[in-house]
Amino acid sequence: MTRRLPLALAALTFAALFATQSGVGFVRDEGYYFEAARSYEQWVLLLLRAPAAALRDTGRYWSLNFEHPGLAKLLFALSHLVFTTWLGWLPDTLAFRLPAFAFGALLTYWLAMLAAQRSRAAAVFAPALFWGAERTFFHGHLACFDVPICALTVGVGVAWARAIGILESSPSTVTPPSTLPSTPTPPRRSLFFGFLFGCALAVKHNAWLLPAVLLVHALLLPAGLRRRALRTLPWLLLGPIVLFAAWPLLWHDPVRHLSDWVSFHAHHVHYAWYYFGRELRGPPFPIFYPLALLALVLPLPQVILFAAAGAKLLWDFAHRALSPLRLLELGLAGAAILPFMLRTTPIFGGIKHWLAFVALLAPEAAHLLAGAAGLASQAGLPRARALGIAAAAALLPGLWQIAHVHPYGTSAYGELAGGVPGAASLGMQRQYWSNNVTAVLPWLNAHAPRGARVFFHEVNPESYRAYQQAGMLRADIQYASGPWDAQYAALQWHREFRDREPETWNAFGTRTPATGFYLDETPQVVVYARPGLPGAP
Amino acid sequence: MEDAAAPARRRSDRARAVPLLAIAALGVCALVFDVTLPLRLPGDADHAEAAAALRVRAGPRDAVQLWPPWAERARMFIRTLPVRTEEDLRAADYPGVERLWLLAMPRAPFARLSRARAALRERGAIAGEEMRFGGLSLQPWDLRGPRVLSFLTDPREEHEIDYVPRQCMQVRIGPPPDPGTLEARGLGGVLHVRAGIVGERAYQVARGQVRVEVQIDGAPLATLTVPPTVPPEPGWRRIEVAAPSGEHAFAFRVSARDADRPFCLAAWTTAP
Repeated sequence: MTRRLPLALAALTFAALFATQSGVGFVRDEGYYFEAARSYEQWVLLLLRAPAAALRDTGRYWSLNFEHPGLAKLLFALSHLVFTTWLGWLPDTLAFRLPAFAFGALLTYWLAMLAAQRSRAAAVFAPALFWGAERTFFHGHLACFDVPICALTVGVGVAWARAIGILESSPSTVTPPSTLPSTPTPPRRSLFFGFLFGCALAVKHNAWLLPAVLLVHALLLPAGLRRRALRTLPWLLLGPIVLFAAWPLLWHDPVRHLSDWVSFHAHHVHYAWYYFGRELRGPPFPIFYPLALLALVLPLPQVILFAAAGAKLLWDFAHRALSPLRLLELGLAGAAILPFMLRTTPIFGGIKHWLAFVALLAPEAAHLLAGAAGLASQAGLPRARALGIAAAAALLPGLWQIAHVHPYGTSAYGELAGGVPGAASLGMQRQYWSNNVTAVLPWLNAHAPRGARVFFHEVNPESYRAYQQAGMLRADIQYASGPWDAQYAALQWHREFRDREPETWNAFGTRTPATGFYLDETPQVVVYARPGLPGAP
Repeated sequence: MEDAAAPARRRSDRARAVPLLAIAALGVCALVFDVTLPLRLPGDADHAEAAAALRVRAGPRDAVQLWPPWAERARMFIRTLPVRTEEDLRAADYPGVERLWLLAMPRAPFARLSRARAALRERGAIAGEEMRFGGLSLQPWDLRGPRVLSFLTDPREEHEIDYVPRQCMQVRIGPPPDPGTLEARGLGGVLHVRAGIVGERAYQVARGQVRVEVQIDGAPLATLTVPPTVPPEPGWRRIEVAAPSGEHAFAFRVSARDADRPFCLAAWTTAP
């Protein structure tokens, strides 16, 4: 197999994300990243106009959102600069999001490369299993860092595997666990590995853990491979150089900025998070929280396949039957989720922080799925039919979930949770935090009088402005700071913000919503209007 | 030899299809659940019919309790009755409510309507005839609670405590020398006082407790202490105390060292 199939799947991913992004609202963080990207774009323009001034004033433009490195936001900025500011081809938000789709496509490409080491069918199944759930599909659309760092974690794994010679472009040459490839790998592979690690470092701090994982992987390899791997590890030193180059904030006073970055995440605030009827506000968090959440939000076939994949990898590890590549996948998957089982790491944000765990189990899960089809074909079922049955059984529930819930991805729950209403009864987080407001913007545009003041609740001012710039919200509608100050209120249902609804009733003198967005009966966004205003009940 | 081994080989061959069959069964089960879920939930017409039934049958001392408590889309349809979303139906206060209409989605996943009914039974309520409107169930419950003599706080104002909207009035918390005060006149009997800190500040344990001193005709009658909420302890605190019969002036003096918190109080008297 050539790279044609992974490339085709990557292109398909990009097209699917591009085609389905219009209704995806802006999660709270995305609004901040839009603002940061705008600031960085101004810096790029200054760099082109007056390089010396740009180099001098990095702090002024890059201090915004100092807590995350610059690469992803720089790409959002460059995309906006080219496709919106210069060419005028794309609306603002789509231009910002374009690099995120590219990261999604890269993730597909690398997953297909990994899974292709098992079989061609696995190469197709692996990205399909990852993306075939509304939660993962939704996150693929956002100009945020979660899918980019997930993609780069997998990408670093692939680059490392290629650099030490355990993964070849042509998957027919799978390296047996204990043999050393006869030819030395070209240095450009090591260079690319170091560069990709730098990119990961320059996207999100999840990358801090990668060197430790790779070191342990190297040490667990057979002797010949171990030596080669240990010789490859120093290429990681390229990482800080890429980080420095991609984050101009570090160009002045780097120690302070690095310290601020580390300190921000070492002391990250804990947001309230609703979990089995309890508001989790701080440590200690339930140890199995991330696994339980995955089981509840993903479609049932994926839950079972990913669980089987994890169990199979662990079983083979315990029996020393893991190939170096599968050992790498296990290590990276473990490193992606274990920090969230420490009971002290902030856990808000659904599954987005450990997407790489899901991604790195996908090749093994795909292999198991393809293996089940292969066994059935040995029993007499035509192979194509067996693969079709496997694909339909594993993917149709997820496709249904996407068709049913998209673009409200933070609200999606799988069959084990009883879907969205079952999760509400179980006492699970309804959404996070405000992207679902897109469902009621058309109503507000249609009913609110000119200049109306609307309380948008968890929609931050950055996202509010982005909705107006995207043409999703009328430009004359004003941002109110609370119900007392508003004519309309669009309340996003959160357990921890329940006080806002009675507050609105008291301020507006009505308890009857004017409209709302209800997903399978569960309140997501409830709109109130002061009596007498257009649209009021 | 070949003939004897053939059935075993066929069984072995068939067994190879089991993993795929298992995955297929899993997929079918998941899909059946997904596709049928909307059929188990009420539609607009069901809500409208239930609301119409309530308009016709409900009286002035009735209220609607939603079940599960998150099923608040019903608020868009029910405009003639107070709507309650209590989570603990056994302990919930329904002051002034003689008949409670339990409007439920019995086929919603994990709805556990039987638990709601059991809780109402445990408090002595008597069930009436259940009506069905598609995915909705409507059942009247005679609460058989004590008769309210006086509302000392306005039941129309609501605030959230323990994540449930409560009929209570916001009262300023004052420092101990200058407590916030709420005054009302009403008939004596059994005095019910409920109080709690509104919103997330209820859970900030470093802020200390709030003290509610209850006075009747200027004399101390009782004290209610509201500490920061530490689940599973409730944040909505309660006392019941006997008040002499006849009309009296009640005063509730609310104080704490940390006064920067929204605080809510409800009080009413019932016949002994």
